[in-house]
Amino acid sequence: MTVTAGARFVGQRVARREDIRFLTGRGRYVDDIELPRILHVAFARSHVARGRIVTVDTSEAQALPGVKAIYVAGDLASLVHNHTVDDEPHGRDRPFRLFADGDVRYVGEPIAMVVAENRYQAEDAVDAIAIDIASDEPVLDPESALNADAPLVHPGTSSNVYIDIPSVDNPALDEVLASAPVVLTETFRQHRHATVPMETRGILASWDPLRDELTVWISTQGPHGVRAQMARVLGIDDSQVHVIMPDVGGAFGLKMHPRPEELATVVVTKLLGQPVKWIQDRRENLMADEQARHDQATVTMAADEAGTLLGAKVDFLEVGGAFPSPGGSAAVFTTLLFPGPYRLPAFGTSARTVHTNTPGRGAYRGPWMIETVVREQMIDCLAARLGVDPLELRRRNAIREEDLPYTMATGLAYDQMTGYATLEQAAEKIGYEALREQQRAWRADGRLVGIGICLLAEPTAMSFGWMTSDAATVRIAQNGQVTVAHSGASHGQSLETTIAQVVADELGVELDQVRVVQGDTDATPLGAGTGGSRSAVILGGAARGASREVRDRMVAIVAHQLEASPDDLVVGGGRVHVAGTPTRGMTIGEIATQAYTMPAMLPPGAPLGLEAQSRYAPESFCTWSNACHICVCEIDPATGAVEILRYVVSEDCGVMVNPNVVEGQIAGGVVQGIGGVLYEHMPYDDVGNPLATTFVDYLLPTATEVPEIEYGHIETPAPTNPGGHKGLGEGGAIAAPPAIVNAIADALLPLGVKVRSQPLGPADIVALIEAASP
Amino acid sequence: MADVSVRLVVNGEEKQANVEPRRTLADFLREDCRLTGTHLGCEHGVCGACTVLVDGAAVRSCLMFAVQANGAEVTTVEGISRPDGELNRVQEAFREAHGLQCGFCTPGFVVSVTAFLRDHPSPSDQEIKEALSGNLCRCTGYQGIINAVRLAAGANS
Amino acid sequence: MKPSAFAYHAPATIDDAVTLLAELGDGAKVIAGGQSLVPMLSLRLAYFDHLVDIGRIPELRGIRHESDAVVVGATTVDAAIEHDAEIRKRVPLLARATPYIGHFQIRNRGTVGGSIAHADPAAEYPAVALALDAEIEAVSPRGRRRIPAERFFTGFWTTTLEQDELLVGTYFPAWTGRTGFAVREFARRHGDFAIAGAVVGVQLDGDGRIERGAIGLLGLGPTPLRATAAELALVGKKADVATDELGQLAMSDLTEVPSDLHGSAGYRRRVGAAMVTRALDDAISEASSG
Repeated sequence: MTVTAGARFVGQRVARREDIRFLTGRGRYVDDIELPRILHVAFARSHVARGRIVTVDTSEAQALPGVKAIYVAGDLASLVHNHTVDDEPHGRDRPFRLFADGDVRYVGEPIAMVVAENRYQAEDAVDAIAIDIASDEPVLDPESALNADAPLVHPGTSSNVYIDIPSVDNPALDEVLASAPVVLTETFRQHRHATVPMETRGILASWDPLRDELTVWISTQGPHGVRAQMARVLGIDDSQVHVIMPDVGGAFGLKMHPRPEELATVVVTKLLGQPVKWIQDRRENLMADEQARHDQATVTMAADEAGTLLGAKVDFLEVGGAFPSPGGSAAVFTTLLFPGPYRLPAFGTSARTVHTNTPGRGAYRGPWMIETVVREQMIDCLAARLGVDPLELRRRNAIREEDLPYTMATGLAYDQMTGYATLEQAAEKIGYEALREQQRAWRADGRLVGIGICLLAEPTAMSFGWMTSDAATVRIAQNGQVTVAHSGASHGQSLETTIAQVVADELGVELDQVRVVQGDTDATPLGAGTGGSRSAVILGGAARGASREVRDRMVAIVAHQLEASPDDLVVGGGRVHVAGTPTRGMTIGEIATQAYTMPAMLPPGAPLGLEAQSRYAPESFCTWSNACHICVCEIDPATGAVEILRYVVSEDCGVMVNPNVVEGQIAGGVVQGIGGVLYEHMPYDDVGNPLATTFVDYLLPTATEVPEIEYGHIETPAPTNPGGHKGLGEGGAIAAPPAIVNAIADALLPLGVKVRSQPLGPADIVALIEAASP
Repeated sequence: MADVSVRLVVNGEEKQANVEPRRTLADFLREDCRLTGTHLGCEHGVCGACTVLVDGAAVRSCLMFAVQANGAEVTTVEGISRPDGELNRVQEAFREAHGLQCGFCTPGFVVSVTAFLRDHPSPSDQEIKEALSGNLCRCTGYQGIINAVRLAAGANS
Repeated sequence: MKPSAFAYHAPATIDDAVTLLAELGDGAKVIAGGQSLVPMLSLRLAYFDHLVDIGRIPELRGIRHESDAVVVGATTVDAAIEHDAEIRKRVPLLARATPYIGHFQIRNRGTVGGSIAHADPAAEYPAVALALDAEIEAVSPRGRRRIPAERFFTGFWTTTLEQDELLVGTYFPAWTGRTGFAVREFARRHGDFAIAGAVVGVQLDGDGRIERGAIGLLGLGPTPLRATAAELALVGKKADVATDELGQLAMSDLTEVPSDLHGSAGYRRRVGAAMVTRALDDAISEASSG
């Protein structure tokens, strides 16, 4: 067996290569790119949530200095041949339009597009466009949207419901719910969030009329998808479109699919034959871009007196906004995932998604997370009802090793699941028993301290449709330099380093011998980009596959050269040599030179060169990872302020490529969860005006609002991919909100407060306290 | 509205330009000086991604007009590295502590922290967090950033 | 988010600045640190044809110590207050309020005069000026005048300054004797504008009784406010006065408590009462130990 000399990098806290340029200001993001004759874009947008456009007068704006052109729907919409994205469910059923046309359906909807010499002038022109809209009553909340006599968000449809997953007859479940000793029903509500990467969207599109080619630089998490879509938009071939993903300042799901403004920019560069740049500003990003997490669910859960879960029924209601993004709905996933890492013998569910006169729903880090939020809250409700400690209740029901493989009532199967182990590790790490003891003393002192738990099963690396596979090409040059060109699109996930770690280990070379290339559609294989916690598993699998192929070729060449058996050869230290006799061997550069330039030296029939591409799809539809979060918080009753005293995460993501990266991903997700529950809220007034359109009102947590996160790692290798990895990128954002909400509910338990909705800002908590003790 | 002539020293080099008064210092640095390391995260003075040093003080360059910086010495993230181009102690610490992921907020943090530690070489944890509270990050959850500042401060003592 | 165009003026003297303001009229706006003004311009919530930058007038910057007051020049930056050891001793309330102002980057540019002239009811310096009965000095073509703080703040973002009048400095009285000061404010996050807050000073007599108290309120009306009833109730009391009752009393005669997406009026009163109580506890404790 050929041996590669040790896993030297995978598993290590390797410092990141990409840091050098980011720390010195030499990152290149889309707004940093300049081209000659570039034009800049600004949009005039609707200030009304629902209404009829009476007039749009651009005459004064047209005459302003630097204005090149102003477009409305009628000018551009017909120039879009096909707006769909790869794999779009239901083909063209998704409501779509480039700009508002005749009517408006959410505040912020683009109405007119100004193209000018610079953004200052473009905004002057936007100011000068006179727009008159006759407003109508908007549909703003999901329950109203369901009413038979509700106004229709989209005229011509029969209702505002556009996804309807009805429940299925389930007499066994009905029997359980009718006869179980303990049956609880609760409705939980979650508020509207914005995704808010630190870099807003942006696109620079340049049509070359001499070559009939489009080049696009775009802040994206899926460059190949953009390429295919923009080709369809212009009605040209993929081969005429070159997409380059520069450095991207975060995405979290927002940048998986381009928005109408970006499509319009592509149409306009072709019209004008000049490069056109649109950089979304923060107000547009908050007010008019995809929103998320606006969900509610009614849960019925049944248990016996000992707390064994017997069955559950959940009805989900998801808010989709006016123009949901292609990946916006998570309805299907919520119905499949609700049972989580527990034994739940009977389960039934239904889900609906409704349009509202608000920006469309987009995918945001764990888009289905409402299922975990409501499940974990419900388990705490059950614990309170039964008088059982919430940790103990979870212990009694968590799937254990002896239950595996376990098929959920929804049909998904766990081949491996270590939720129980993470529960125990987290409990130990936080000192759970002593903490509960301490809580009794605090409560006696009148302090409102609570402990909240979330047990999470995360479906990572979901492999279906356009997201089925990833690919990597590994190439070794004559100087021994290794290049990995892959189909991913790292935008903070550290792939430039972690993929190098994997490949360096597979090829037995130094880390700085490996260069990682991504994001350029001319230079990388096709793929869905980065998202869905897929990279370690799927991209890692591809990188390993390509590396192993190249490695095998190297071994074959050296075996042939030295007349040795491949089994006697070792790959390591940048060489391939005879085991025990390091001097009998070749550097990989020497092997490459032969492979490219000396065919006669190669084994008969061996392929020339040292370059291989591997496309990898995991064996299973998803790779399960899991975690347990425990949060301790204290509430100041006078102000309602929540302080997080401790936060522990125990997670199992299989074999970690880089523990720094693992912890960083968890931390980012947890703090998005803290933000979501305690600070972030995207409210609308009763006529559909957004109330939090700047960072003054949409509040992100800062360093003073976050606890020190404590990590416990369990590494149970995944049996279904060559590296034994599991994904984890979304887990923090999914598990943190329920852990925090449960901690708040626990803190307020002595006051008789029931927590059933978010957000839980200080005023919300005071309102709950006051309502419970009038 | 007539252009105004401004002259300032940016990262040790003299820059002169005629600018509209409304041109922000951030845009002047990014576009007129081609120093794109300073980033625009919000353009209303909250996120800190645009932080630069003006006469040594950390400020939000999106909240200044270039004309207000006439005659000033400005240091951007590009000027923060050591003269030999190596990472300064703050930059090194960020790298070691995994204090960045997508990198977009990073220049603002590097500049802010460099100024903070220069003026407060031995900060308490609470002082560190308060000093960091003027810069937003969406990727790291601040854990690596706080550790980076501790590390860089510790390198002092 | 780019501002609309304006003409820029950078006068070198107070007289030049005042003359400009008089000439340019309503379309002109003074800019000092710009930390409040520039975001409004960038968001196009405000438009001005002319900005008069007073940052180049040397006489406007600096701290001067008089026998019973500290005089802070209009364009003195917040950071200068934060680092001034004399101010920490002579006007502790001013020093202690400063770290609550935004973040250090804001404080490097934001000015004391700018904050007072902008008159945000949730800002720290206007409340401190009001609590300490400061006097605001202003210059116009009609001459120089000193305006007592209690007459200065007339409405939301509105002061008695005339359009052609420039705030040049603020006189903060220095308290002597057995004094204690405290700032307590509640904000959503560190550095945010206060939802409600209190800036408090107390002075004890030789018998340990409170002989005067000043309670300035932030975020509880269209202007900074004085909790006069509570101040009167303090007089003559000993250090063990029931500060929670005083906190309630301080809220009782407020008539225009704001209500917005960060909290209703009722919520702000609850928080305000707690802030007054806690600030009084701190201040009285400090005075008692002095």
